[in-house]
Amino acid sequence: MAKVPEFEPCAVLDMFSGTARPIMQSAAWRISLWAALAFACGTMVVFVFLHQFVAGDIQRRTNAWLAGEAGVLSDVASRTPKDALNRRVVREVAELASREVPHKRGSGPGPNDSVFFLQTAADGSVSLWVGAGDVNAHLAAVRAGNLAPEKPTTLHVDGFDPPFRVVSVKMENGSKIYLGLSERDELRVLRELRIRFVLLWLLIVLIGSAIVFYSTRRVLGHIREITEAASRIGENDLSSRVPTTRRNDEVAQLAITLNRMLDRIEKTIHQLHTITGSLTHDIRSPLTAVRARLEMALTAGKEEGSESIVSAIEDMDRLTEFLDKSLDVAEAKANALRINRVPIDLDELLRVMIDLYEPGMSEKGLSIQLCSAGPLEVHADAALLHRMIANLFDNEAKHLPPSCTVRISLSGSDEAASLVIEDNGPGFDSEISAHLFERRIKGRNSSGHGLGLAFVDAVVRAHGGTIEASNRGEGGARLALILPRSAQLTDSRAPSMTFATAATSSSLS
Amino acid sequence: MRLLLVEDEPGIQGFLRRSLGEAGYQVEAAADAATAERMAIDTYHDGLIVDLGLPDRDGISLILRLRELGLTSPVLILSARRSVDDRVRGLEQGGDDYLTKPFALAELLARLRNLLKRNNSSPTMEPTRLRVLDIELDLLRREASRGGETLNLTPQEFVLLEYLCRNAGRVVTRSMILDEVWGMRIQPDTNVVDVHIYRLRGKVDTDGQGPRIRTLRGIGYVLRDR
Repeated sequence: MAKVPEFEPCAVLDMFSGTARPIMQSAAWRISLWAALAFACGTMVVFVFLHQFVAGDIQRRTNAWLAGEAGVLSDVASRTPKDALNRRVVREVAELASREVPHKRGSGPGPNDSVFFLQTAADGSVSLWVGAGDVNAHLAAVRAGNLAPEKPTTLHVDGFDPPFRVVSVKMENGSKIYLGLSERDELRVLRELRIRFVLLWLLIVLIGSAIVFYSTRRVLGHIREITEAASRIGENDLSSRVPTTRRNDEVAQLAITLNRMLDRIEKTIHQLHTITGSLTHDIRSPLTAVRARLEMALTAGKEEGSESIVSAIEDMDRLTEFLDKSLDVAEAKANALRINRVPIDLDELLRVMIDLYEPGMSEKGLSIQLCSAGPLEVHADAALLHRMIANLFDNEAKHLPPSCTVRISLSGSDEAASLVIEDNGPGFDSEISAHLFERRIKGRNSSGHGLGLAFVDAVVRAHGGTIEASNRGEGGARLALILPRSAQLTDSRAPSMTFATAATSSSLS
Repeated sequence: MRLLLVEDEPGIQGFLRRSLGEAGYQVEAAADAATAERMAIDTYHDGLIVDLGLPDRDGISLILRLRELGLTSPVLILSARRSVDDRVRGLEQGGDDYLTKPFALAELLARLRNLLKRNNSSPTMEPTRLRVLDIELDLLRREASRGGETLNLTPQEFVLLEYLCRNAGRVVTRSMILDEVWGMRIQPDTNVVDVHIYRLRGKVDTDGQGPRIRTLRGIGYVLRDR
């Protein structure tokens, strides 16, 4: 029995932590992500259309220019006589035309590399060449291109990175005129358009999603404030309300609705207090009077009948205790138990309790052990906690057969204290195990009014803790209680009462 | 000592008047807050016993009102609720005490005695030795003896015997013992206090000497001082 029972405080305590969630998990993040995605896709589609339109328009202009100039050149070439003058005139016209388009190297010397003019004779040999670069490369490209007459086509020429837009005109004498315009400028314009668009697009998407993120976060922040405030409003703080804003939007409506609901709950709880208060008063006053009369009769000194008076007084005290517990359990089930939290050292409390119960238990042949790592402070209602632990001890003392051992293990983390009470007795009765924490549930051979564990459950619940009952594998009952160490760690997540394993045994209510 | 009893229930009022009278107090009684306020202003009382559920006003507001008017006497509050509310706790911290109904007369008398003693206690030296007939307690060395013979007591048993000796000749109830010795207002289902008393008696009332710790069934225990 020296072994400390193993449980995983971390796993159990996770439910008390984690109020600050990472930003990636927030709804604001998701909303802004989706908004950014939708915006980016939409603008991208618009840009693609725009790009197509601009590219098409530039090509149309290029084609028009090429057709016009080719017409002029073929006109000039066909009209001027076939001599040296012809070549000069055509060359000058071609150079004149090439000046209309921007020069790559500015206005520097040398032929313009964005325009070329090529005239081939009927046999395919070059008869006139105006342009930069190697004529043969152009000739090869033109031949490979297999151009349809008077239809501008895009050609790649060796030695030139940007392609040329080339139009060919067939002359009457069988020679052909090729006029090419580099697409360099067109591509440059489109590239710059794309670069600018992408930069602006990124900027807009980033700014847009940031705006969406911060605005949704603001709205959701209000909701979070409401959530936090609502979860803070526990059973002992029903008077406070969630924050409201002046705006009349959905969030404000939510807050107002919540506050109205809280008003109703507070009213109901208040009514419950009033009813239980007057009820107890109405029952206790006659009880007090009856008890007083019995005491008077007892102290009057007559020996005969004193036995029955004594048992009447004892019955009355039991009735009172039953009344107290019933009301406490009822109030706790309705989340109306009034809790006045003070710091309590659980270790010390358990030692005092053991000191109190040990003689009575050893009288019955029971032994009791405490495994504790030292002082462990919790913020809890002292009176309720005292009675709760007394109930747990009474429960063991009443139901265990002789020569059993009760082991109490206390441990804690920063958030919660864990109290485990185990014995090597017969364990919980399978018949009642599922209803262990309900009122008036007790085993067949049990005495008492069956409120003990219901009361324990009620107190643990009121403090925001959990309780779990199970039968140990090696026999005996096990009750595991988790109590948050301070009120801030209590939240509205409902504590769950579970019964882990059911084994056949006799009673332990 | 003059007491003012504020209780609307005639049966309880009559019983308390009689019992307190037998215990040597002069008792004036009022059945509602208005009468009580008038009586408290008219005459000085060493102590008050106030029921919280009065027909015309809440007992707490009566006490607060009287405190405003300059009442300094201690108040014993009779409450019909087990879980007392914050205002009662406040008064308790202010030196008053409370008792839940139904109560044992012995407990009421003991609490009243404590309250009244607290109120006129002049700073006297706490005695270091306590003596009841042939039982002697050394409070500094935490040792007890009877008839010169040292009793082998555990620290808790010593505290229990000390409490009984301090109330020698008077009845103490189980809940008083739990409250004073263990510091808890609980009502155990099992006979834990009885076992402690039984063990203590086994050590104190040895053969050949007169029994000192007496059980009053249904009420509590008393340490004889005669």
